Amino acid sequence: MEALILELKKEIIEVLNLEEIKPEDIDENAPLFGEGLGLDSIDALELIVLMEKNYGIKLNNASEGRDIFKSVRVMAEYIEKNRTK
Amino acid sequence: MEIPIQKTEGSWLNDIYRSLKISYPKFFKMDNLSKAGFLASELLLKDEIIDKENPKKDISIVLMNRSASLDDDRMYQETIEDKNNYYPSPAVFVYTLPNIVNGEIAIRNKIMGETSFYISEAFSAEKIYTAAMDAFSDESISQVVCGWTDYELNKCDVLLLLIRKENQNGKPFNINNIYHLHI
Repeated sequence: MEALILELKKEIIEVLNLEEIKPEDIDENAPLFGEGLGLDSIDALELIVLMEKNYGIKLNNASEGRDIFKSVRVMAEYIEKNRTK
Repeated sequence: MEIPIQKTEGSWLNDIYRSLKISYPKFFKMDNLSKAGFLASELLLKDEIIDKENPKKDISIVLMNRSASLDDDRMYQETIEDKNNYYPSPAVFVYTLPNIVNGEIAIRNKIMGETSFYISEAFSAEKIYTAAMDAFSDESISQVVCGWTDYELNKCDVLLLLIRKENQNGKPFNINNIYHLHI
């Protein structure tokens, strides 16, 4: 799980162009949206693409993201259970 | 005034951003056209619009270029052209309009006046002059940020001007001066 969390942090930094953030700056238990990283709705859509492209997880409803993107740890747990690649 | 860049595409814009010691994380999410326009506006307006907090309805933004958003259009196409690797990027898609650069400058400076973006086959001092003067036809507009913001295939060509209805100590706004400032 810890390896997946680190991998996920690196992927999030890359796809969301969080140029000045390092993996260790991201608290895996902190909310991804609303505070901290300052992510917006386009970032949420990019995370949905990331889930499908890298882990084969297709979210049919964008509102599902609300629960899945609560934090990096929650995201990693969801990926571990549902990944197809 | 085209500047051929040898470094990784767009990375020099990040270098300029850092050298200006700006703190605006959204910069890194912008496309290269918006980054170029944004940085030019930071340099242009740093001593002019000190107050970035309060909305300003008396400033208009009028920009023009040749390449529209072609770099982003190509980049977006790459994300959709392979049916077996079809992952359209929302973050790229939002920049597939050149006038987004107007929005980035307006958001940063809380400029609430009308904004417009025109495409021209080549740099034209006459067209920039005419478009800026048109913006002043709205009597509520007292200043216009105008100019040329072009970025394609790592070639950047940007000229940004701040025009005041009541000129203070700047150069007169005319076609000849726009032309010479671009050379």
